[in-house]
Amino acid sequence: MSAAGLRCPGCGSSNIVDDDLYCQAQLVCVDCGSVVSEGTLADDPVGGTDVSYSRTTEMTRKPCLNLIKGLERVKEICRILRVSSEIEDLALTHFRQAYEHESFINVTLQRKELLAGCCVFVSCRQRDWPITLGTISCLLNADQTLVGGVYQNMMKILNIQAPFINVTDVIEAHVQEYKISTQHVPEELAEDSKVLSKRAVALVELAGDSWIVTGRKPLPIMMAATYLAWQSLNPNKHRLRLSLDKFCQLAKVQKRKPATTRITELKEVLCKLGRELPWVREPVTQNDVVPLVGDILEHRHTLLTRALRTHERAMEADCTQTFALNSLTEEVAPSQISESRNQTANASSVVQPCPNTRGENQEGDGDENHQSEDPEPNWGKRVLFAPPCVLHAKMRRVERPVQNVTGDEEISDSEIDSYIRSPQEVRDFAQMQKMASCSDSGKS
Amino acid sequence: MIMDDLALERYFDDSIANDSSYLVEEDLCLQSSQQQPHASSSKAQSSTHLSGGAETSGKLGDDLDLSFLPDDLSNQSSITAAAADRNAALNVLEDSGICLENNLPDSGAVELQKSTVDLGPESRASPFCPMTPMTPMTPMTPVTEKSGIIPQLQNIVSTVNLGCPLDLKFIALQARNAEYNPKRFAAVIMRIREPRTTALIFSSGKMVCTGAKSEEQSRLAARKYARVVQKLGFPARFLDFKIQNMVASCDVCFPIRLEGLVLTHQQFSSYEPELFPGLIYRMVKPRIVLLIFVSGKVVLTGAKERAEIYEAFENIYPILKVFKKQ
Repeated sequence: MSAAGLRCPGCGSSNIVDDDLYCQAQLVCVDCGSVVSEGTLADDPVGGTDVSYSRTTEMTRKPCLNLIKGLERVKEICRILRVSSEIEDLALTHFRQAYEHESFINVTLQRKELLAGCCVFVSCRQRDWPITLGTISCLLNADQTLVGGVYQNMMKILNIQAPFINVTDVIEAHVQEYKISTQHVPEELAEDSKVLSKRAVALVELAGDSWIVTGRKPLPIMMAATYLAWQSLNPNKHRLRLSLDKFCQLAKVQKRKPATTRITELKEVLCKLGRELPWVREPVTQNDVVPLVGDILEHRHTLLTRALRTHERAMEADCTQTFALNSLTEEVAPSQISESRNQTANASSVVQPCPNTRGENQEGDGDENHQSEDPEPNWGKRVLFAPPCVLHAKMRRVERPVQNVTGDEEISDSEIDSYIRSPQEVRDFAQMQKMASCSDSGKS
Repeated sequence: MIMDDLALERYFDDSIANDSSYLVEEDLCLQSSQQQPHASSSKAQSSTHLSGGAETSGKLGDDLDLSFLPDDLSNQSSITAAAADRNAALNVLEDSGICLENNLPDSGAVELQKSTVDLGPESRASPFCPMTPMTPMTPMTPVTEKSGIIPQLQNIVSTVNLGCPLDLKFIALQARNAEYNPKRFAAVIMRIREPRTTALIFSSGKMVCTGAKSEEQSRLAARKYARVVQKLGFPARFLDFKIQNMVASCDVCFPIRLEGLVLTHQQFSSYEPELFPGLIYRMVKPRIVLLIFVSGKVVLTGAKERAEIYEAFENIYPILKVFKKQ
């Protein structure tokens, strides 16, 4: 500030000097000593410094605070899961790499936290540590679809591949979660974790072989397997009566809704195998299959072979029957039958001394009904085990096939006119729109 | 041609594999006589499929003349059990027949099959039959059966430029089949009944047409939309019509082990059952994305041409067959 041209408000003299001896620069009148004006304490130009913080060297010396927080979160998650240090290091590397990418640098803090969880998830998978996305979502307390989205994004950015983890690998870790040992629950409901785990693994393997696992979320299947394993290890009336809901409450795990359907599907498969047990006389239904589960699992390979052979014989019998009935349509291709044959271990059929007439009738009936009604028989009904989505296929609306169109046909005027409003319609519509907007503005 | 060891092995593997299944199927054939021919004449079947449809697979090319094939192949089912062995041998011939030259049409193999064995009334004198039967030839490429399944187109997305700016409010007012909500989306959504499609018309004059089941239908639909816009008084033209995306689906009719597929084709597949029940397979050539489900249903998308879809399916079919059994 120039001292020239200023007048002291106190005495009116123009003898003003710039006094910056002290920390603050002041304009002082020499005659009367009053301070005319003083400089600002902070001598910065208006609007902050010339150089913004992000461009100063401070940035390179100190990394972003959120990055540090994120890395801490990664370490935290790793410690909760008790993974090895190798996985932890790998997760930290992935996080640093992904964090810098434009898709993750400017997102919400929630998303950054999800990114931390996904890095741990990927690292676990790459080092063969069995874990599911559901577990990570639980840890992060976030919706699985959200986590899934961040996960896919991250995989694309990092351009890495994570090997697939089988349900059978994860089930053991899953069973550990269940608080079902003698110290938590009464004697008749308690079960040793190792024994439970072993049986659950066998059940999950069986489910995998009979198409229950492929394409489905793993957690409900594991829950169903654990439940059935627990019930069958000691099928007393207490256990058999306890529903899945109560079981989950007892074991202090969160129930998964699809688990009930999985239990039904698993029981169905067990029934199919249970029928082949030579010492079972009564029909095996969903209600009484549980006590037999132990035996079924022990001999499941033999039972599987026998069931397939029975099924094959049923198919054969069915074939002669329908040939005699002469009701087959073109679509019932023998190639589908040959498929079930290909599934069997050997083609030579041996007469089985077991009560499987029910089984044959059931499958025979189903097929017969199917052939007479549907123009396109469901191939799933012709094989012993099929994915449930095939067995319970949705009825699709059949679209009528359109005749061949060249694309250059003549377009009739009348057709086009049918898509255009008449003048009266236009007037009506415009009026209605006006009324609607008036009432809207009236309300608001 | 001299067969090297590897080719010889492959040749026997194929014939043995086909052998057992045909023997088995022959029994069934006896019992279900009115049946269409199955695997042993699947090639004939696939030829029928191909000749019946308007398009042929890109591989076979346009010079394929299948007119001499009988329309109704069910006569072949009168093959007796005694012919089972002959059929097995025939299949071997079929394989080798196809492998002789890459552009030998399927029909040539079928004719070869018919002419080498006397099947009674069904046999025809073949205009082809260049090679002597029972002479195995080295396969140039691994023998793969044509799948016999044709993916059906489900959706075509195309774009066209009407070449003039449009007043969307005016169009929404004057057209019966239009909806326009500028706060939600900056385009008019118009629909027509035949072909059943939807169009997004933008104020710049550009238009997107979706929902058609074939390229020609998409073009016809786009022209109809252009006509409607024309009738409303705009100088609409029909410039740069282009198919942007084609979606097709089909069913291979056997369950697929997705876990196995993701293990062996890790670079192309992404299978996350916790996120999506299907396996996402990104094929490199042709550049198509396939969604493969455990039920055997396959969805193919990302194609600009029909041939890409057929090629992609023929590429994936042998891979899927590997994961058919448990």
